[in-house]
Amino acid sequence: MFFTSDEWEARAMSKTLLVMIGSVGLLGGMFWMLSRGDTRRPTMVTRSETGEPTGSDSDELILFCAASNQAVVEAIREDYEAETGRSVQIQYGASQTLLSQMEVTGAGDLFLPADDSYLKMARDKSMIDEELKIARMRAVVAVAKGNPKNIQNFSDLLRDDVRLVQANPEAAAVGKLVRDVLRRDGLWNDLEQATDAFRTTVTDVANDVVVGAADAAIVFDAVLHPYPQLEAVQLDELAEGTSQVSVGVSAGTMRPASALHFARYLSAADRGLPVYTEHGFEVDRGDRWSDVPELTVYAGSMLRPAIEETIVQFESREGVRVSRAYNGCGILVSQMKSGQHPDAYFACDSEFMNQVSDLFPESVPVSQNELVILVEKGNPHKIASLRDLTRDGLRVGIGHEKQCAMGWITQNVFKEGGMQQEIMVNVTVQTPTGDMLVNQLRTGSLDAAVAYLSNAAGSAEFLDAIQIQDIQCSTATQPWAVSKDSEYPSLAGRLFEKICSTESQEVFAAEGFRWQLGQLNSAPSNTFTRESSPVSRDE
Amino acid sequence: MGGLSASFLLLIVLLLAADLMFTSAGEFRAALVKPEIQYAFRLTLLSCTIAAILSVWVATPLGYLLSRYRFPGRSLVDTIVDIPIVLPPLVLGLSLLILFHQPFPFSNWLFPGSDWKLDSWLRDEVGFTVTYRWPAVVLAQFAVACAFAVRTMRVTFDQIDPRAEDVARTLGCTRAQAFLRVALPQSWRGMITAGTIAWARALGEFGPILVFAGATRFRTEVLSTTVFLELSVGQLDAAVAVSLLMVAMAIVVLLILRLLGAGLSA
Repeated sequence: MFFTSDEWEARAMSKTLLVMIGSVGLLGGMFWMLSRGDTRRPTMVTRSETGEPTGSDSDELILFCAASNQAVVEAIREDYEAETGRSVQIQYGASQTLLSQMEVTGAGDLFLPADDSYLKMARDKSMIDEELKIARMRAVVAVAKGNPKNIQNFSDLLRDDVRLVQANPEAAAVGKLVRDVLRRDGLWNDLEQATDAFRTTVTDVANDVVVGAADAAIVFDAVLHPYPQLEAVQLDELAEGTSQVSVGVSAGTMRPASALHFARYLSAADRGLPVYTEHGFEVDRGDRWSDVPELTVYAGSMLRPAIEETIVQFESREGVRVSRAYNGCGILVSQMKSGQHPDAYFACDSEFMNQVSDLFPESVPVSQNELVILVEKGNPHKIASLRDLTRDGLRVGIGHEKQCAMGWITQNVFKEGGMQQEIMVNVTVQTPTGDMLVNQLRTGSLDAAVAYLSNAAGSAEFLDAIQIQDIQCSTATQPWAVSKDSEYPSLAGRLFEKICSTESQEVFAAEGFRWQLGQLNSAPSNTFTRESSPVSRDE
Repeated sequence: MGGLSASFLLLIVLLLAADLMFTSAGEFRAALVKPEIQYAFRLTLLSCTIAAILSVWVATPLGYLLSRYRFPGRSLVDTIVDIPIVLPPLVLGLSLLILFHQPFPFSNWLFPGSDWKLDSWLRDEVGFTVTYRWPAVVLAQFAVACAFAVRTMRVTFDQIDPRAEDVARTLGCTRAQAFLRVALPQSWRGMITAGTIAWARALGEFGPILVFAGATRFRTEVLSTTVFLELSVGQLDAAVAVSLLMVAMAIVVLLILRLLGAGLSA
């Protein structure tokens, strides 16, 4: 068939137009398919902070997860979505890459790296708030099934006929861990020289043994779970080489309660942790799973103004309930001895923690509170010291020695000052809490009261405080402890972290407490006495 | 010489044979029935094709421009086009991430105090999310694939004698008409080749996708990231099975493109 030049041109042009229009149509069609596919992908119904279902992608939780945890996390995610109806979007990658992505984009609600050294890096950059421990991994030597090279001890790794591969200490957590452990014992240089190659990830190292490129490789034991063709050899030299797997909650998450909900599921003793165990990890204790866990906290009344707001914020962020009982510590101890077992106890003084040490074996001293003499503003009775409380006709109020720490300490102070009998003659009321004394002072039914400085923190315009000098036992120490029987030790631990936060310490200071547990604010916090009235000296 | 060439072919065949020996038919079937791999297969096919078509659309006029015209800054344009080819893949992904999520370049300089961000604007104002969604996959693939397509199209136009276009212009054609009616119909083979190279490059793209689009199952997971994920959890069999799936997919698509090219050239 022959064409004229015009026909050729027409054919060429029509072909050009056809292909151009066709390609635009094809592009449009494929964009439509992708957009449609994006909305039709398998997604469970999501729920908002209030529990209301929402369908928007922006409400979906985003977890940045180390690729090495993919198998175990996918299994847990399936269970979670089926059980709760909430959905989680998981993005896998190398831990360092994920960390960089979070840093640049600010996206992501949770971060689960291969080990917690990456969480430390994220914390140093203020990217992570809460951290929930999940499992541990141990450094071992991976060899082919049957151990054909008969590698039994450290010196075998140095043999010329053993091809050893390691993870790069600069790029992979296991490499860094092994280097740190062996350097302490002076063994690292020998092992480094005997290493044939350093790989960037721990799975690359294990893969080398699988494909026969290496005879031995140092890996985490949990990494070997999906490799039936490999076995682990434990070496004494690597016994201290353990690493922690934890999940961190992004400091910038807009969905803290949802993020912590999934994080609690991951680390729950009866949900996520058994799956981790199945995959070869050694797991931590973990909390019992509950959709909305309820934590019970007993605390001395004096601590209420210092911790209440922190607890309210904690409940909101975690999406949990904290049932708290504030009362005189003597009463709280009686309740505990009669069978009530809170998850945590924040005592007014160590003495009242010691009385229930069987329930709370490990306590931490947190703050201190000073016993003072409270009087009406302007100090009309001119009270300057404990001795003045013995004056005839003075109406004095103190705490009850059996019902609260304050009363018990008050009696000790009187004894140490050598005037217990004389002052008790003037004592007209003994109450279980310091707040009651403050109220009675303000109504005029008392002339003076011996109470904590923190009891009067909110009454600076009505009351003056007089410091008790030279009596050591006039200061109470408030310890915190989590019950050994608590089903929510991690949750209680996170509440304690909030109580120890900088913001919380500032509240303690404003309420007249002296912070004792590390960090800041070690100076006495006499806001009330300094601003309202000079402190009188006890003679 | 023939022996040298044959050794290359032999190397490729041996690589495929080694992969086939490493996995099994059962493993291959198991990989194919996994919903996440089916999703990755579909996303790979669509995103690579979109990236390839867009690349040819962009590369054809740009390649023509670089081949036919001399203008100030031409060398600079020529060099900029090559940057995605020489840039390490992870760097390209990180650069895309920074471009979309950090204050837009010069925005603070042009409008002091402004921290206008491209991703926030697209998401909040336009309602089109890019990062960690399929558009990020396409963009990451396009950024690299287009550079190869431009290079191919430039060589194509270099090899087409400009005399026919000059004659067309003496007969009354404008520059655009000369391009559309004379140069373009002669460049079909080049366009097919550019599309093929762009598609193949997009298929193998991994680093920028991992950084810019992530590897989220049922959302941004393409076959190259599937291989990475399977390797990360020690599933070597599955990784090899997916790799072979990619090889099969590439062979089929490349054959279709060759047949299409032959048909258009006829």
